[in-house]
Amino acid sequence: MTTQVETAHMETGQTDRTALWREVASATGPADRAAAEEGVCLAYRLAGLPEPEHIVWAGSPHEGVALAARLTAEGTAGRSVRDAVRTRPWAAARERVLERLGPSGWAAHWALTGAQLWDVTVALTERIRTGVVEASTGVAADDEQAVRLVLLDAVLGQHDAAWLAAFDGQDGAEALEGISAVARAAGWWWPYEKTAVVSERPVELHRDEAGRLDRADGPALAFPDGFALHAWRGMPVPAAFLDELAALTPRRIREEENAELRRVMLEHYGYERYLEESGAQPVQRDKAGVLWRIELEGDEPLVMVEVVNSTPEPDGTHRTYWLRVPPRTRTAREGVAWTFGLDEADYTPEKET
Amino acid sequence: MYRQGDVLIVPVAEEAVPPGTDRLPHQPRDARGRLVLALGEVTGHAHAVVGPGTLVREAGPFGASYLRLPDGGRVVHEEHAAISLPKGWYRVVRQREYAPGAVRVVAD
Repeated sequence: MTTQVETAHMETGQTDRTALWREVASATGPADRAAAEEGVCLAYRLAGLPEPEHIVWAGSPHEGVALAARLTAEGTAGRSVRDAVRTRPWAAARERVLERLGPSGWAAHWALTGAQLWDVTVALTERIRTGVVEASTGVAADDEQAVRLVLLDAVLGQHDAAWLAAFDGQDGAEALEGISAVARAAGWWWPYEKTAVVSERPVELHRDEAGRLDRADGPALAFPDGFALHAWRGMPVPAAFLDELAALTPRRIREEENAELRRVMLEHYGYERYLEESGAQPVQRDKAGVLWRIELEGDEPLVMVEVVNSTPEPDGTHRTYWLRVPPRTRTAREGVAWTFGLDEADYTPEKET
Repeated sequence: MYRQGDVLIVPVAEEAVPPGTDRLPHQPRDARGRLVLALGEVTGHAHAVVGPGTLVREAGPFGASYLRLPDGGRVVHEEHAAISLPKGWYRVVRQREYAPGAVRVVAD
C-alpha cells in the first residue's frame, strides 16, 4: 500500500522529471554528438539489431530528409528500422505502465507527465513538418509525397519529450534508454538498417508565453544549416515580411490586402500608435477599460478593449494592454467579460491585480 | 470572483461543481510546492497557489480547471500583487482573445 507521503514523494519526482523533459524539448545549440551516437547504437542493440555501420549528421530535419531520401534511394542505408527501434519498445513500455496502473491510473499519470508538454511540442513538430515539406518540394507533384513518407520514418528526438516524460522512471523504461539518450542529445533522427541519419538541434528558438513560435526581427526557429521558420505569435509569415515591419506606416497597413498579415502589422506597429495616427476616437469607456473600433476595408472591423494593468510597474506607472474582442462588442466591460467566456452581467471581479 | 492578470478565478458552490471532478487526476505541484494555475512558457512566471488544495483539469483544449481550497489560500505571480482566496471551490478561466476565424489564448 502506498501512503499519502509516498504518493506526494512520487508526484514530486515526476514533476522534477517532467521539468527536465520540458528543457529537453526546447533545448537549442549543438548536439552532443558522442552521446547521441552512443544512444543510437544502444537503441539498435535494445531492439536486437546490429549497430548501424554509419551515423551521418544533418544540419536540420530538412537536410535530414534529403540525406535519408538519397541514402535509401542509393540502397546504402537499407530499410527503415523505426518500428523495431522506436515503435515496438514504445508500445511495450506503454503496455507495462497501463497494466500496472490501469486505464484510469494511466490517464492520471499521463496528465501529470506527458500531457504537460504535449500541446506545445505537437504544435512545433507539425510546424517543422510543414516547413520541411515546403522547403523540400520542387515542381513535381510526387515530390511532396516522397518527402512526407521520409518524415514518417523520423524518430523525433528532443520532440518526443512528452512521451519520454511519461515513461521516465517507470517499469519497462529500460527498453527506451537508447532513444531517450538520443532525445537528450540531438534532434530528429532516421534509423535504417545500415545507416542512421541524425539531425542537429535548432540554434534559435523564440516563442511567446503561450509556447507559440514568435519573433519579429528574425527566424523564430533556425537550424545550423540555415533551415528556418518565421512566425509572429504562432502565425507563419514570409521572411521578407518581417523586414518590412520596421518601416510600417498606417497607410501601408491599410493597403495590405491579406487580412492576417494586416493583423500582424497592426500588432507590431502598436494599436495605440495606429489609433492615434489614424485619429480614431474611443467608442465607449467604463470601469473595465476603453473600447476602440477601427473600420477596415474588405474585412470585419477591428474592435479592441484598452485595459490598464491593475498592478503598477516598479516605476509606479501602469502598463496598458490591448485585447481584441468580437466585432459586435458594445462596451469595454462586455469585451473583457467575453475574454473570460462570461456575459457582461456575470463579470464582477471584486479584486483585480 | 478574482482576476490576476490573464487568469480569472470564479468561486463555485460545491453543488455546482460537475460530478466526478474530485476523482480527476490532481495536477502536480511545481518544484517549489505550488499549484500552478497557468504557466508562462518563456519566462516561467506562474499564477500559482501557495498552501493546501487541489487542482484538476478537464480533458481537452477547452476543458475547465477546478481549484479546491480546503483552508483558503493565496494566488501569487511574479508581476502581479497576490490575492487571498477564502476556502471553497473555484473555476479557473484563462483569458482568450478574439481573432477572426479563431480564438487564441492571451499570454501576458
